Order: sequence, then C-alpha cells, then structure tokens
Amino acid sequence: MSEKQEEMTLDKRLALISFNKDPEPFIEVDTKLCQKCEKKPCLYICPAQVYSWQDQLNYNTEGCMETGACLIVCHKIGAKAISWKYPSGGKGVSFKLG
Amino acid sequence: MSLEGFEVAVVGAGPAGSAAALTLAREGVQVLLVERGTFPGSKNVFGGRIYSYALKRLFGDLWKDAPVERFIRKEGITFMTSDSSFSIEYEAKDPKGSFTAVRAKFDKWLAEQAEKAGASLITDSRVDDLIIEGGHVKGIIAGQDKIPTDAVIACDGTTTSLARKAGLATMLEPEEISMGMKDVIELPADKIEERFGLDPEEGAAHVFVGECSGGLRGGGFLYTNKESLALGMVVGADDVSMKTIPSHTVMERLRNHRKVRRFIRDGKTIEYNAHMIPEAGPKMLKRPYTGGMLVAGDAAGHLLNNGYTFRGVDMAIVSGVAAAQTILEARKKKDYSAQSLQIYQRKLREEPALKDMYTFSGVPRYLRNNRLYNVYPELVCNAAEAIYRVDGNGKRKIYKELRAQTKGKVSTISLIRDLLAGARTF
Repeated sequence: MSEKQEEMTLDKRLALISFNKDPEPFIEVDTKLCQKCEKKPCLYICPAQVYSWQDQLNYNTEGCMETGACLIVCHKIGAKAISWKYPSGGKGVSFKLG
Repeated sequence: MSLEGFEVAVVGAGPAGSAAALTLAREGVQVLLVERGTFPGSKNVFGGRIYSYALKRLFGDLWKDAPVERFIRKEGITFMTSDSSFSIEYEAKDPKGSFTAVRAKFDKWLAEQAEKAGASLITDSRVDDLIIEGGHVKGIIAGQDKIPTDAVIACDGTTTSLARKAGLATMLEPEEISMGMKDVIELPADKIEERFGLDPEEGAAHVFVGECSGGLRGGGFLYTNKESLALGMVVGADDVSMKTIPSHTVMERLRNHRKVRRFIRDGKTIEYNAHMIPEAGPKMLKRPYTGGMLVAGDAAGHLLNNGYTFRGVDMAIVSGVAAAQTILEARKKKDYSAQSLQIYQRKLREEPALKDMYTFSGVPRYLRNNRLYNVYPELVCNAAEAIYRVDGNGKRKIYKELRAQTKGKVSTISLIRDLLAGARTF
C-alpha cells in the first residue's frame, strides 16, 4: 500500500471552494435561544461546520455551501434560532465540479 | 434586458428548470429562466450520474453533444467492515445508458440549449417572493424587480422557498432529508482506466455500505469522471443530529478504508461540495401545483433513491418537461387556474419514468432500517471471511456458517422480516 495518501481536513476542503462574500447577512442566529438548546443539531449537520460552540454559538457564514439543512434541523430538533435564506444573487458559494 | 412581456417565469436553471424553459421556448412561449448563481450549475451538486434516456427524449441523437464525462460500464457495490470488504460488480452490455457529468458543465450546457431555443436566461438573480393575488400566482419578485407573468414554474431545489410561499409545502422534517458531501479527486485518465478496469471513455459507479457511515444511516459513492473521481457520502440528517456525529467526519472514514484508499491513491483533491437531498419523494408537497404555478425537480421531490440507483437529474428533466406541457395546454385554454393545471398531477403519475417514484414509494421507509447499515454489511463480510478462510481448524458447511454468523447480531425473525419487506419494497 502506497503511503502517499493525501491527508484531508475540513479546513483544507473548504479552502478548495470559491466563495463570493455576501455583504448582507443571509444567516442570522438568535444565539440567546441556543443557550437553552439541548441537541444543538446545527453543530453536526453542517458539512462546512459553519456553526461552532464555545460558551455560546458562533457562526461563520463564509464557508456556507448553502445546503439549507441547518434551518431544518434547528427548527425541528433545535431551538428555532436560525433564520436562513440564500445569499443575494451571484453571491455565496460557486462550485466548479458539483 | 426588459423584464416585461414574459408569459412564463421558470425559477432555477437546473435540469428541471432548463428542460421546462427549453420545452416552452420551442413552442414559441416567451419564457424567462432565472438563476441565482453566476452561471447555471454553479450552485448545484450531485453524486455524479445522469441516465441518458431523459436527454434522448429532449434532443434525439443530438443528446451526445452533452458534456459527458464517462459512460458507465461498471456498477459496483461494496459492503465493508473496518478491515474487510465484500464487493459485487456488474459490467453492463451497453454503457451508453448513463454517464457521469459535472454540474457546472452539464447544467450550463442544458441552459444554453434553452437559450438557443429562445428562452431568456438571467443569472445572479435571487427570486425572493411570488406575486400572489387572490391565491393565484401572478409572477415573481427578484430584489427590486416585480416580474408579472401568466405562470411560474418553481424549480428552486430542495429548499424550495417558492412552494412554501405558495402554501404547497411546510418545512421538511429531518427524517426527510439527507446530507450529501463529496470530494472531487484529480487523477489521470489512464490511471482511472487501469484502476477500475475500463476502456477509454468508460466509467464506473460504485456504492459503499457499512463501516464508512460510522453507524449512521447512509452510505458512500464513487463515480469516475474523465480525469477525476467523485467520492462522497450521504447520511440521514436526523441520524447525524441525534447521534451527534459531525456529518463531514464520515468523509475521512470512507477515504481511509483500504478499499477506497487504493482507488484514490496519488490523487489530489480539487474540490469539496455538499448538497441537501430530499428523501420523501413527491409527498413532500401537498400538491405540485396551484393557481398560476407548478413545481418540478428536487423542489417537488422528483427524485428517487431506491438503494441501488440514485436518480435526480433524469427525473428533474422529465418533470420539467411535464410541467412545460401542462403550461402549454393551459395556454391554449388561456386558463392557468389550479383546476386547469391539475392535469400536471396526472401527467406525473402516468409518465413511465416518473411512475418509478410511486412504484418505489415504500423505499424511504425501508431504508430507515439501521440494520441495513450497521448489521448486514458486517454479516456479509464475516460470512465471506468464514467461507474463504482456511486455517486448518476445520470448516463448517456454508449454510451452517451463515447461521452462525447471524447469532447475536440479528434475530431470525428480524432477518426474515427484513428480507420479506425488502422483496415487497424493491
């Protein structure tokens, strides 16, 4: 077995994607609600780990791949704290090999 | 471009939207195709394969102009434990039945065909809302632009805000969605052909079940493009949330399995992408039509995962065409009321390609059985191990060995029930 195996991390993966930052916030989280959220499903569903937890919910929309799954799990399993829409036209992620 | 005078607005230039716009434009309808990405396909992600029949229907022999990566000669499935695997491979008579593609190229090409037929495409434009008067959809709103039309076809994908705004859908349940993720790994064409045992232009599709999903409901896939591999995982959203396993971690599990490592070695990952997959089928909408509007493609649940074939693009195209045909009939009658548009429902049910969704409507429920991911793949591998291993300690006959393997893993009753239910479901 060749040992030339490429090591991939999420950070490396996200660095491969083109983003055009939307100046408008397309994800907004009422993080006060997250304090009481038991399951915090957003931390697990997001394939870009847009959401992280350190004493409170933090989120960084720059890696968002716009799957929209966070909204669903937040509202059905979590604390209904996330409001989410697609970024403005032409903004956000742009895949070359989707 | 003036946004006046369009009869139909199609929202989303994916396969459903472009097929609908193309079909309408060919009949001389003034159609506006609106895409939020900078180009069609830039927001779209799939596993990797398109079934050719849908394109043949749209283009006849000219379907071969489509940006095909490789025609699928080999279909494979691997059941895996952490340190063993059991694979089955089928080599198709004719590889032309399906092909791998890259959405940034394919969707762009399909939208170009719609444009050539006379559709007007605008990109970089997010449709925010519908113009609704007296419960009837009268057009779309994109930023500052209010665009009145006779009808709207919503092909706005899984999250379909338009179907929700029209009151046709409520928010999906976590059980009804999966998260799909993939790495695109660059590899020279000759290496791909050698590694997978393919002739030039031929491709392989492979599915992985078992250890790779780390106890989650889901599995892996691999498709060969011309000079890259599309390697990914699909996992159930509710399962990820309840078991608190970050979805992307299953990608490393898959990549690090010996079987997969050999496929991808020396490869260079060049893109990572992800997409939410609706798994509920057409019942994700109350109905796919309302006064002045039809819904097609992912937005209407027009896709099918029956466990061994994964179909989205072909069904999106066919449903986009069915929506366009419905509009054409309504246009003749000058009647876009819900009553007039309800023939869409019948078209969907009668269309042989789409009927598969109803034939296999029991599949999503069947596939929710976690034994399929956590018990059976291991059982298959362990049985193979016992059958093939000779260690001088004496061997049992195959049937006895199989019975022994199931002990403590699954009760006979569950096993029989799963088999019978499987026979009925598939």
